[in-house]
Amino acid sequence: MPTKEELLKAKIPCPETGITVRRTFCDICSPGAHCGVDAYVKDGEIIKIEGTKDHPLNQGLLCTKGASNRQYIYREDRIKTPLKRTGPKGSGQFAPITWEEAYQTIAEKLLGYRSQYGAQSVFFSSGYSKWYRPFLQRLCYSFGSPNYGTESGTCFTSGLMAWETATGFPTRPDMRNCRLFLGWAHNPYFSGYLGARNTERLKKDGVKFIIIDTMYTQTAEKIADLFLQPRPGTDGALALAIGNELISNDWIDHDYIDKYVHGFEEYAQYCKGFNKDNVEALTGVPYEKVQKAAQMIHEYGHPMSIRESNAPLAHHVNGMQNYRAIMALSAITGNYDRKGGQTPSPFTFTHQSAGYHTLEHEFVDEARRRSMAVPVGGTRFPLWNELEKEAQIMDLSRQILEGTPYPIKALLAFGMNFRMFPDSEHSMKKALEELDFFVDVDLFMTDSSQYADIVLPACSSFEREEFKCYPGGYAYFTTPVIPPLYESKSDTDIMCDLARYMKLDDPLLTKGYRACMEYILSPISYTVSQLQDADKPLKVPEFRPHEEYAALRKGLLTPTGRFELKSEIIASHPEWGLDPLPTYREPLDDVDPEVYPLTLTEGGRLPNALHSRLHDVSWLRTLHPKASGEIHPDDAADYDIKEGDLMEITTPMGSITVEALLSKRIQRGLVSVYHDYREANVSNLLNRNRLDPYSGFPAFRSNRCRIAKKGEAHE
Amino acid sequence: MSKMILDFDPNVCCGCGACAVACMDQNDYDPKTGSAPFRTIFETEDTKDRPVFFHYSVACMHCSPAPCITACPVGCLRKDPETDLTVFDNTDCIGCHSCSMACPFGAPSFNGEGKMEKCNGCYLRLQYGMEPACVRVCPTGALRMVTEEEYEKAHGEYSLVAEAKEIAGKQV
Repeated sequence: MPTKEELLKAKIPCPETGITVRRTFCDICSPGAHCGVDAYVKDGEIIKIEGTKDHPLNQGLLCTKGASNRQYIYREDRIKTPLKRTGPKGSGQFAPITWEEAYQTIAEKLLGYRSQYGAQSVFFSSGYSKWYRPFLQRLCYSFGSPNYGTESGTCFTSGLMAWETATGFPTRPDMRNCRLFLGWAHNPYFSGYLGARNTERLKKDGVKFIIIDTMYTQTAEKIADLFLQPRPGTDGALALAIGNELISNDWIDHDYIDKYVHGFEEYAQYCKGFNKDNVEALTGVPYEKVQKAAQMIHEYGHPMSIRESNAPLAHHVNGMQNYRAIMALSAITGNYDRKGGQTPSPFTFTHQSAGYHTLEHEFVDEARRRSMAVPVGGTRFPLWNELEKEAQIMDLSRQILEGTPYPIKALLAFGMNFRMFPDSEHSMKKALEELDFFVDVDLFMTDSSQYADIVLPACSSFEREEFKCYPGGYAYFTTPVIPPLYESKSDTDIMCDLARYMKLDDPLLTKGYRACMEYILSPISYTVSQLQDADKPLKVPEFRPHEEYAALRKGLLTPTGRFELKSEIIASHPEWGLDPLPTYREPLDDVDPEVYPLTLTEGGRLPNALHSRLHDVSWLRTLHPKASGEIHPDDAADYDIKEGDLMEITTPMGSITVEALLSKRIQRGLVSVYHDYREANVSNLLNRNRLDPYSGFPAFRSNRCRIAKKGEAHE
Repeated sequence: MSKMILDFDPNVCCGCGACAVACMDQNDYDPKTGSAPFRTIFETEDTKDRPVFFHYSVACMHCSPAPCITACPVGCLRKDPETDLTVFDNTDCIGCHSCSMACPFGAPSFNGEGKMEKCNGCYLRLQYGMEPACVRVCPTGALRMVTEEEYEKAHGEYSLVAEAKEIAGKQV
């Protein structure tokens, strides 16, 4: 028999060791995942974690990032108490204060700005994580400010807007039931391992795959029946060329188009401009491959589902239009609102579609005041304003620095990272330096929190109770695995406390998280207590699976009730200067291509990283220790750069130095840099005014640059 | 229990490193000590024409017979009689690195006190009905803990050990 000491070392949960297993989930990445976690707890401390075997989403598995949860939670730089800044901004000099003092200071300041400059002078922002967002939005509106804005303004919302423009609904691919899968920037091996498993399963089942990506990914290598490799930001031209090929061969669904699609004739006419004469010059993809893709769609695409991966397609000045051009392929082939195609998927909670209804929308919307100022970015990005009715955070630093059309005096941020803003040093970082009052709520002291006046410690998903919905009709309400570490608090408790300290006229929010969730979940049969007692996700009786053609027959939520290839919302506002059709324009800037001959793209995923959140988790950092950029070996040879050399990347905005990695997965002419490194902030190289006029999204993935060897491999 | 083999399929591995991190969690790895983690991932790229990628997850191979056991002058290493995995008790380790030199894969690692540590196949987890941490987390199913019979049945002529030796030769 093993000794007790051996059992403890092996972390065996049993009576001899006193180790128990408690359940929660990981919230390191986006709410699109949030895998179930078994936490091994000994004397109030988490000593090990693994995936929950009977969890409906991850079935016992975890990704690289999720596997690091224990080190993430116990990071040395966790904020332990509320802090107030005692030295100059950026000096890192803070002193601990009580929650009472912090709340009173914040309440007094924010109410002061409200009475002096109007409620709109206070901005409420969310970075990661995202679980609390309806609460922050309600707090913002109850305060009276229209300025609720999130990092989704650089990530998810552009794709959502494209779907809203065409159909009025958020939409998901019904990958499980398709015969052909068009994976546009689909590489789940590094960003969503559960997607990789599903992809492999479908491949084995005989589903055909067209993979379109600027990089030759593992999905391209292992899964693709046909692989197309366009240059970054030329996806729209490629999609229009595929559309043209489908139309000219009459491989389209006329009945469907007649009944359910608006603007087909004008779209078809526009597509004619993308053909064998120009598609290779525009996109880098040979015309034969376009023909082959159209042929596969014709042969196997009934049904066809399309994954238009949000951020990679959206991060261009033409991103949303490119996205619309891709979506159009599902309309002309009759695959929208069809089993195995694209399914309208209204949100259940926090932008997740679980197939049942909650009162999240009402919870947020009923706090909205009738008359509020135009939110930040609303004038500059009118389509965004029309559809989202939130602030577009990409215009925040400009408004803070310029004070127009009205001043922003204070920022209450839950997770702030100035490196996600193009030209960070001169945009958001400078704005944080100049802001009158900045409160940052986070788990860790970040480079952004160094500029805060007050810093508040939030806790992790292991330390709080939380509601979460999952696809397939599941509802989960967790119990804390351990009490909040140090003096940290749940984000939503901080929001509800602030509502009380500011004496906001919001009787529900001031009652706290649980009371709010009881209200939000009132349409489902389970109570919060029942969900929590179950200690696992429960299938909600109100779950309704997708019903084919139901949304189309009822009429879509667009002005014409149809799938709008030509957007009537955009057409009715000629003053916006936007195109109703999914038109194409060049993605690259007009700086001199002789001086800047290569294309810089940032934001590619590493399996061990998520933005800035995990670069300081040492287990993960061992897997990819250095800030790096990848280039094609032939380009590297042109510049005498070898694997591991230091490589300087320069744009008109500045230079950074990273380790060079050589790989043929990168196309020639492309420099792909991993982002959010303190020592090499690639966002500093971007022009902050290169934003998509439709969505306000920044062009993270298509900017001209040049490279040079900076020195030999270093340690 | 029957003789167990920690099997690995390089055709399925995507090099995500979840196994390596789960191993660090299981074994309280601290990078600050400067010691090597028990499990490491590698990617190689054959770039002659179309790139072809190979991914490997490498730790102690639990050889049978194990040269490290023979090499250790103080008897720290042994075979677990239940599972045939190569396990250790480093109480008496003198830090001589003989095991490391005998190991064809460079598996033994040395902690802050200079004492040998390595993957023990999570043999106690196995005995308590659980999988090794790396196998439990592996999202692609590349790592599996199987009985000797299952291994023979699955592989026939194919030798993981021979392939691992080739990879070990590429390590710097």
